[in-house]
Amino acid sequence: MYSELYGFIAQNRELFRFFYSVVIALICFIIVLKTDRLFRLSSHQGIRYFRNAFFFYGVAFILRYFLAKPPYFLLMRIAFEFFMVMGGFFLFYSLLWKRFEIRGAESSLFNLRIFIFYVLAIIIALLDYLWLWYNFMFFSQIILFGFASVISYRNYKKGGKEHKFLKLYFVVMVLNFIAWALNFIFADFFGWRLRWFANVYALNVIVFLIFLYGVIKVTRKAK
Amino acid sequence: MTKKRERLEVIKDILEVIREKREVKPTRLLYASNLSPQMFKDYINELIEKGFIRLDIDEKDKKSFSLTEKGNDFLEEYRVIENFVENFGL
Repeated sequence: MYSELYGFIAQNRELFRFFYSVVIALICFIIVLKTDRLFRLSSHQGIRYFRNAFFFYGVAFILRYFLAKPPYFLLMRIAFEFFMVMGGFFLFYSLLWKRFEIRGAESSLFNLRIFIFYVLAIIIALLDYLWLWYNFMFFSQIILFGFASVISYRNYKKGGKEHKFLKLYFVVMVLNFIAWALNFIFADFFGWRLRWFANVYALNVIVFLIFLYGVIKVTRKAK
Repeated sequence: MTKKRERLEVIKDILEVIREKREVKPTRLLYASNLSPQMFKDYINELIEKGFIRLDIDEKDKKSFSLTEKGNDFLEEYRVIENFVENFGL
């Protein structure tokens, strides 16, 4: 049954690539809209960084499909990696910003701390471009989501009884960590075979769907 | 020892006092907010800047604060915002 499924996916590879990118970009777009409304009302810096993360992820997935074609492939590859890595940095920093900012910076896109992330993301994208692989992005995200898993586990232990989504948030961070680790393993040891990568794509869709579920559930007004 | 109030909670407390009284004099609001005068000034300036409250001055030059529609919207959504911040560990 599985080989039939993979066969079907392989035959309709382009269609699946299209839906994969569109579905995740759409999820990101909804999350950005919902969190932007909360941010505009509260000016809460954590919500702002969380919103930025999904904005960058959304752009990354649009670039991934619509622009990752010749003759712009190499340039778009750098842009895709940059937005993808920045999405991870913003998500990670949304958990940590309170330790570094007292009242929140004026701009969430142009401040010194975020500038460091921009530089790191550009370096990662350029190094991968020069080496013609994706390992620098894989390693950076594996490390990032490893730490994010630890932080979200601590948050869950501290307030999980009262705030139910903290548990799912920890799970989703671990899933993210696993997804990036599988990306690295399948790319480096299994030669990018669709049969393996279809599982990573499915895992990625689940991760983004959990985020969407959390955002919708938590922002729903109590009746 | 009492827990330090989060920024959002302080804003909610200030806005609730104004909503309850409809119009509040600055000294009374300072007293009700339980903040230092400097902190109070910073919060009030921020709230006016964001359009959550309005400073009204009458013909006798007496000042009072009142809630705007945006401030009222914030109070209505406060639980949602608080819930979001705590559930996502932000």
